[in-house]
Amino acid sequence: MQGELRPVSGGLTVVTGDNGAGKTSLLEAIGYCSSLKSFRGSPRESLVRSGSASAIVRLEAADGSRHTLVEIEITPPRRDQAMRNRQRVRRVQELLETVRVTVFTPDDLALVKGGPQERRDFLDEVVVSAHPRLSVARHTVERVLRQRNVLLRQAGGRAGPEVSTTLDVWDHQLAAAGTELAEARATLVAELAPLASSAFSRLTGTGAGVVLDYQRSFGDSLAEALASHRHEDLKRGVTTVGPHRDDLAITSDDLDARTRLSQGRQRCVTLALRLAAHGVVGSYAGAPPVLLLDDAFSELDDATAKALVSELPPGQAILTTAGPLPPGSSPDAVVRLRDGRILP
Amino acid sequence: MAKEDATRLAQAIVEVKERTVLCSVCFNIGIAERCAICADDRRDGSILCVVEDPRDIVAVERTREFKGRYHVLGGALSPIEGVGPEQLRVRELLGRLEPEGVTEVILCTNPNLEGEATAMYLARLLKPLGVRTTRIASGLPVGGDLEYADELTLGRALEGRREVDA
Repeated sequence: MQGELRPVSGGLTVVTGDNGAGKTSLLEAIGYCSSLKSFRGSPRESLVRSGSASAIVRLEAADGSRHTLVEIEITPPRRDQAMRNRQRVRRVQELLETVRVTVFTPDDLALVKGGPQERRDFLDEVVVSAHPRLSVARHTVERVLRQRNVLLRQAGGRAGPEVSTTLDVWDHQLAAAGTELAEARATLVAELAPLASSAFSRLTGTGAGVVLDYQRSFGDSLAEALASHRHEDLKRGVTTVGPHRDDLAITSDDLDARTRLSQGRQRCVTLALRLAAHGVVGSYAGAPPVLLLDDAFSELDDATAKALVSELPPGQAILTTAGPLPPGSSPDAVVRLRDGRILP
Repeated sequence: MAKEDATRLAQAIVEVKERTVLCSVCFNIGIAERCAICADDRRDGSILCVVEDPRDIVAVERTREFKGRYHVLGGALSPIEGVGPEQLRVRELLGRLEPEGVTEVILCTNPNLEGEATAMYLARLLKPLGVRTTRIASGLPVGGDLEYADELTLGRALEGRREVDA
């Protein structure tokens, strides 16, 4: 992948090209400048062209009159070198604050069709983008659960006084961080719900919206739930209640999106979720993130594809497609890719 | 590295291993049965500062603010690493309270998940015994800029805010 992309600021740039031309890699490079992670989960080695030792991504972010240059050198197996305005970046958070992105990929279908973990991860990522402070609660929940589950298994089904006192301590930590995380997710779902519903009905051109419902695995008090499930937890060697057992239920016209909607409609649900998240994060960050839509037209009929283009939120969007643009759509710029190069 | 340097380094390592022992009272590293701090009569025996590791004593000592004595746990609770209360010197800590006339225990474990869990575990043992139990505060580095503080630290600092004297 080589070349320079100059996407339209505040408008839609469409990137076209055949399969394998490098469209996704281009978006991946932009996303990498935000998180030092590939949104398709590519291992770092595969981000470097075969035969080369390293890959370099340069991105210039403009926010009003403020320009920020982000440069990343990927040289596996060494750590990534990230610079912001020629200054070494120490925490990924600094990049996240410079380059905010909302990514939609075809793999997002898993948000609807996959297991609850996919939906929890989605909620957590959006929660942390909107409220960076909550990354602590998210991290704590993960870590306490690992500690607690190991302790439960070590106990071998019985809780002597020693195990009970230590469990009390981990439960206390889990209850605090877990409640904070679950409440943040529930608040987020309440914010996402109206946005997702209207996006869905605009995309599908029907009156039907979507209903989002955050389903907690515990009642009002996680501390009480942990206490009352302790016996079962000890027996099973895992923590059976907590934010890691919660789910996001999605329905449209009372139909479960996971099992009862067509795949095309499920695509619309994932797009609606991403667009809603885009709106929420933008409202907290003060400016909308850059919207990256990878192969967004796949499996969409013409009318839906057209609705997607015309209903894009204000701000910068970069969309890739291998096929033709939906009839009547007029992007602000079209960029062609061939064999990993941006054509002039 | 020259051969004689290598030999000296090797001897130094052997010497450390041979001459250093753990203090029989607080489990700090020392060269006698009781470490320099435990042997110092000028230290206030009524305040105990509980740390995870002997290196933490060095850190606290650098402040020159603390005049009490120490107790080294030898780690923090972490089932993943196979560390439960039995692997820590908890019983030894409890055994020091009465004979040494300890009135306050400062829990100076690391401000991470395992350190907090350990502090809470100890607090639950100590409080019923009527010993004043305190935890070191978390906050911003002095002389630093708010702008460069991470969210976690700044969040903790906000939680632990205090009234301004005026």
